[in-house]
Amino acid sequence: MWKIWKIFDPRRMLIALGVFLFVLALLIHFILLSTDRFNWLEEGSGGAMASVEQVDAIASVRETTT
Amino acid sequence: MVDNAENSLSGMTDDEAKEFHSLFMTGFMVFTAVAVIAHILAWMWMPWLV
Repeated sequence: MWKIWKIFDPRRMLIALGVFLFVLALLIHFILLSTDRFNWLEEGSGGAMASVEQVDAIASVRETTT
Repeated sequence: MVDNAENSLSGMTDDEAKEFHSLFMTGFMVFTAVAVIAHILAWMWMPWLV
C-alpha cells in the first residue's frame, strides 16, 4: 500500500482529501439541518411522532379557542 | 542504490514513501476513531434507518 505515495504526490493528495472530506461533511450537515427529524438546533419539532403530536395539540388548542 | 526516486512519479524514495505512509495511516485511524464515536453518539441521539 505504501507504494501509492510513489505514484501520487502526498502533498496534493492531502489537500485533495482534506477539501473532499470538508465539503462532504459540510454537505451532510446542511442536509441534516434542512430536515425536521435531524435538525439539532430546533429539536422541538424533531421526529415524525413529535410532529404528529404537535399538529394534534395545535388542532385541539384551536378547537377549544373557537 | 543511489536513489530510487527516479522511477517514482511523485519523486519519493521507498523510505520516504514508507515513512509518510505510517504517518498517514496513523492520522487515518485517528480520524476513523473520531468518526465512529461521533456516529455512535448520533445514533444514540436519533437513530436513522428505523
